[in-house]
Amino acid sequence: MSEKIKEWPGVALKDADIKEKKVLFTEWRPNLKYAWDTGVGYGRYFEGLRNGRIVGTRCNKCHRVLLPARAFCEWCFRTVDEWVYLKDTGTVNTFSIAYTGTQAERLKEPRIPALIEIDGSNGVGIMHLLGEVDPKNVKNGMRVKAVWKPKEQRQGAITDIKYWKPFEEGTR
Amino acid sequence: MSPLDKITLVNQVQPWYGEIPVYGQYTFGVAGERFFREIKDNARIMGTVCNSCNLTYVPARLFCERCYNKLESWVDVGTKGRVHTYTVACLNLDGSRISEPIILAMVQIDGTCGGLVHQLGEVTPDKVKIGIPVEAVFKAKAQRTGSILDIKYFRPC
Ligand SMILES: [Zn+2]
Ligand SMILES: [Zn+2]
Repeated sequence: MSEKIKEWPGVALKDADIKEKKVLFTEWRPNLKYAWDTGVGYGRYFEGLRNGRIVGTRCNKCHRVLLPARAFCEWCFRTVDEWVYLKDTGTVNTFSIAYTGTQAERLKEPRIPALIEIDGSNGVGIMHLLGEVDPKNVKNGMRVKAVWKPKEQRQGAITDIKYWKPFEEGTR
Repeated sequence: MSPLDKITLVNQVQPWYGEIPVYGQYTFGVAGERFFREIKDNARIMGTVCNSCNLTYVPARLFCERCYNKLESWVDVGTKGRVHTYTVACLNLDGSRISEPIILAMVQIDGTCGGLVHQLGEVTPDKVKIGIPVEAVFKAKAQRTGSILDIKYFRPC
């Protein structure tokens, strides 16, 4: 409300009025199924994930790795030059410790979304989750490695990587 | 392989399937609530009267759109009216052919301002003309839910 208006006239509807069908209403549930044609760049990126690889492209003009792979460099306005196959290791650029889930539910065990700079990409990050780590021990700059789902469970999606776990250089 | 080479194997690309969950509820407002309750409970079509404009609105509404007066006088306007305009629909929403064409009509209830968009029944398209008198045919009380479809259709009278 405001200084002038302390209360609006009328009676507001409550959730219960709808649930107990005290008022008449119509319901609407549109069918919003879609299929997005991923195209050459993203298509190969997703297919790469199914095969346990992180696929990008390189533009030789601006010397940039584009990740996820795109067919076109939007900086140089030209077609990219080659595919690049990146390692599934990287560095935590930033992270968050989330005690709230995607449905706004409370989480006992927090999820740790993080931006992970993929090795060999010159600092391109992808959003993902950290795992096998105590939230207290997560640091920016931490080295992490992808934990993939078993091959038969992969669907060609970013969730084919379960999460990223800390790793020491020189170990697997 | 260059990024511009055509993809020749269909398993190298896949569409991304998704679904956006959207659900809406629409309540009819103060006047709409009473208008549809009357149809549901009493099989009556009600209008509201603006005395300064000398108009009766159907469907009933809370305010006069000409003079902005609040409308508080409700009247039973009967179930008879005239075909104001109509169209014969031969296709379903998905573009498939309807076996029996549906006649969609805007029916203006006698003595009122406004109209109800509905279907005509008990009549063939060749008999329909603009201006023919029609009356509402209601569903049985047990089947009425407080919807405009509580009226089955309008038929010539
Ligand atoms: Zn470039
Ligand atoms: Zn008026």
